[in-house]
Amino acid sequence: MTEVEETLKRIQSHKGVIGTMVVNAEGIPIRTTLDNSTTVQYAGLLHQLTMKARSTIRDIDPQNDLTFLRIRSKKHEIMVAPDKEYLLIVIQNPCE
Amino acid sequence: MAPATHSGSGLRRRRLGVETADAAWSGWFTSSPPGRNYVRLLEQRPQVADALVLDKNGVDVTPRPLYCADLHAAKPNKLLSSQEGLLSSDILASYSMYQNTMNRSTMGQFTRSALGSSTVSKSSMSTTVSMAEDLEEPSYKHEKLASFTDMRVMRAAPETAITKEDLEKNIEILLTETDTLRFFDLPTVMISVESEEAEKVIHRNNKYETLCRNRAGNDLYVERMMQTFNGAPKNKDVQCDKIILEDQGVMATAWDLYDSYNALELALAAKPSAVDSSSKANALSKDRDHTLPGSATDKTSETSSLMDLESVILTKVHEDEEDHADTIMKSDKFLQDLFFMERVLMENIFQPKLAAYRQLPVLKEPEPGEPEDVLEGEKVEEVEEVKKEEEEEIEISTEQSTIPANLERLWSFSCDLTKGLNVSSLAWNKTNPDLLAVGYGHFGFKEQRRGLACCWSIKNPMWPERVYPSPYGVTAVDFSIGTPNLLAVGYYNGTIAIYNVQSSSNVPVLDSSESPQKHVGPVWQLQWIEQDRGSTGDDKREFLVSISADGRISKWVIRKGLDSHDLMRLKRTTISSNKKGDKEKKGEALISRQAPGMCFAFHPKDTNIYLVGTEEGHIHKCSCSYNEQYLETYRRHKGPVYKVTWNPFCPDTFLSCSADWGIMVWQQEHLQPFLSFYPTTHVVYDVAWSPKSSYIFAAANESRVEIWDLQMSTLDPLIVNIANPGIKFTTVLFAKHTDCLLVGDSDGQVAVYELRNMPSASDSGRGDTINALLGCKSNQPG
Repeated sequence: MTEVEETLKRIQSHKGVIGTMVVNAEGIPIRTTLDNSTTVQYAGLLHQLTMKARSTIRDIDPQNDLTFLRIRSKKHEIMVAPDKEYLLIVIQNPCE
Repeated sequence: MAPATHSGSGLRRRRLGVETADAAWSGWFTSSPPGRNYVRLLEQRPQVADALVLDKNGVDVTPRPLYCADLHAAKPNKLLSSQEGLLSSDILASYSMYQNTMNRSTMGQFTRSALGSSTVSKSSMSTTVSMAEDLEEPSYKHEKLASFTDMRVMRAAPETAITKEDLEKNIEILLTETDTLRFFDLPTVMISVESEEAEKVIHRNNKYETLCRNRAGNDLYVERMMQTFNGAPKNKDVQCDKIILEDQGVMATAWDLYDSYNALELALAAKPSAVDSSSKANALSKDRDHTLPGSATDKTSETSSLMDLESVILTKVHEDEEDHADTIMKSDKFLQDLFFMERVLMENIFQPKLAAYRQLPVLKEPEPGEPEDVLEGEKVEEVEEVKKEEEEEIEISTEQSTIPANLERLWSFSCDLTKGLNVSSLAWNKTNPDLLAVGYGHFGFKEQRRGLACCWSIKNPMWPERVYPSPYGVTAVDFSIGTPNLLAVGYYNGTIAIYNVQSSSNVPVLDSSESPQKHVGPVWQLQWIEQDRGSTGDDKREFLVSISADGRISKWVIRKGLDSHDLMRLKRTTISSNKKGDKEKKGEALISRQAPGMCFAFHPKDTNIYLVGTEEGHIHKCSCSYNEQYLETYRRHKGPVYKVTWNPFCPDTFLSCSADWGIMVWQQEHLQPFLSFYPTTHVVYDVAWSPKSSYIFAAANESRVEIWDLQMSTLDPLIVNIANPGIKFTTVLFAKHTDCLLVGDSDGQVAVYELRNMPSASDSGRGDTINALLGCKSNQPG
């Protein structure tokens, strides 16, 4: 547990990281560094996108599965590690 | 009275209707085509029973029977009962409705018409039969309805209290077969010509036909019109609840089918696997895990995304949520995801540096406004390194003339844990080129503090993958060749520990602190050597060689524990040249006969031969076969020799550095150094040959890192990198497949430098070229 906490803290303190969120399958935030409404919004939208992405991957090959999703936009990069029970979302601004 | 007249006329109609049912009523009953084409059966007549109908005022409004008789049979009962079953609700509704709205005079007719039409529409009976019944129907139905309502009322009455005993006692349930209930009986209107009744029916049909033919001019038959009074229709609105329609769609995706089949297979394969229903009412997420084939998974996959958002907290207990959150935080998968996420972040942060390290094109972040085609450079990341190296070399050669070679600092491995510690050794992992072991420990006796051995990965320059703390300073690290997950760590107190880096525990796998043959002085160097045991038939046996300040070179073998065996005991040797050796002689007698060893290097080609550098300044060439004598001794250094290393390309040349500020290049056969450099007045801690060229080596002394290129100049280093004041460079290590150099310093940082614009070597370093170089420079005196 402590290792998890440490790693989470390190991630949150990295250069350019805007926010870190862990939400469970229902969209309830477990750990978040952003405010609740933003978290819920991100969680909802990214959940749908992750579902779609996973469906795409598995349609091509059912034995495959989605492990990581990165979305790069003009302003920042959103990284999602999806799982059946949770979503780990990190938003980073790599340009500095 | 009105009903009487009605009934009278109706009766008249009735009589006619018996015979000419189809002709008179065909307009009304659409379901009765003129019956010429098939044999019609004239069934039994309906039967009327005594009925009593009361309207809301209690007045008897029983319609009098239109004709008494015995024409009733069981069939209408059946019919009515069947129809009741279908229509009871309608009938009740209409009944009650009509009862309220109509007066009794017209009730009979209306009910008859409404009910009659409804019955006809429901049952596709022959018209004569239905006609025969409809007049009796109202009365019949009323009776039935009354009884029905009565029954209904009665049923609601008894409600006894049910005690717990009643619930718990065993109730015997007997199952018996009931009589066959007929719900619907549609008698045929056609019979086979060959059946028994056929004759009768044919006879009757013939009679009927003659009758119809004779009808035209017969006196018996009179045509007469009648007008029926059509009552005023009335519209009645009924309101009902809106019927909510929902569309349910499912997309049968390939993975859905695969999952379902897989789930079936798994369920078949592992029957006793009980689905662990935890106390959490986590239906949504669990459903996805459940092995339910087909529709269930369709449903959950389809609607779960919607349900997730909408039914957020509604049905969940708060405690369950917390438990579940903890489970997530503790799960291994989460840790792994965090690990990957950190690496991805690192990649983003350090992308240009890592790309330079790996010799990939550097991705430029497109500023808003810049053309988007820069992003397409991302795809080029997948290009193999080999091609890139060639291109880099070409680039280097073209730029050679303009920009001098330099070291560009990419990044440095450092974190809070390592701040302030002195880097004492560096070692690459033999199979994973991204994994680096760093040992932190001070060199001097007075500066001893706690030590640390860390494993860093290139992919995460901000936090080490493994941290092995210890109370003593770490003085040597090396990764094993045969089992690349074993890391040997040597400590200042002479202990050697072996860690398994695959596991995340901090406890060493093996430790030599208990061994009777452990070193009693700091272990200055460790190396895993693979030696061919050709004679015994074993494949390459690997053992660990250590050299320490107590003057012993030990070979450690991992059998059941760490077993050691002395390869050599370093004796103090007398100096051949005449010097006032008073001090030495005295020292020889009194203090120790052993000379502290500082470093060793096994010959790359012949692992039997190795060089040893001692604190006296001598370099001895030894062999594994002799553990008492040296093969050769190279004397030149005046201070402890900190490092000896063989040239990887030229097997006879080696390099040594020492505390007497000097770096010397030797050749195996000659006892005098071939080249010697005294670049600064600082102790040289480390030297290393470049893996790419036989002319290039790097040296770290206290104040600067130098890159020497013997091809260019033997007087000056090619590149000089000066340290920040207060920091000493203590170790250097070349990276194997890239043009990078790692430099460790006394502040706990391991900086990664890229060698840029190096003179393009015609290298690949053949041995003969350096020999040519050596040959043309004759032995320098002194």
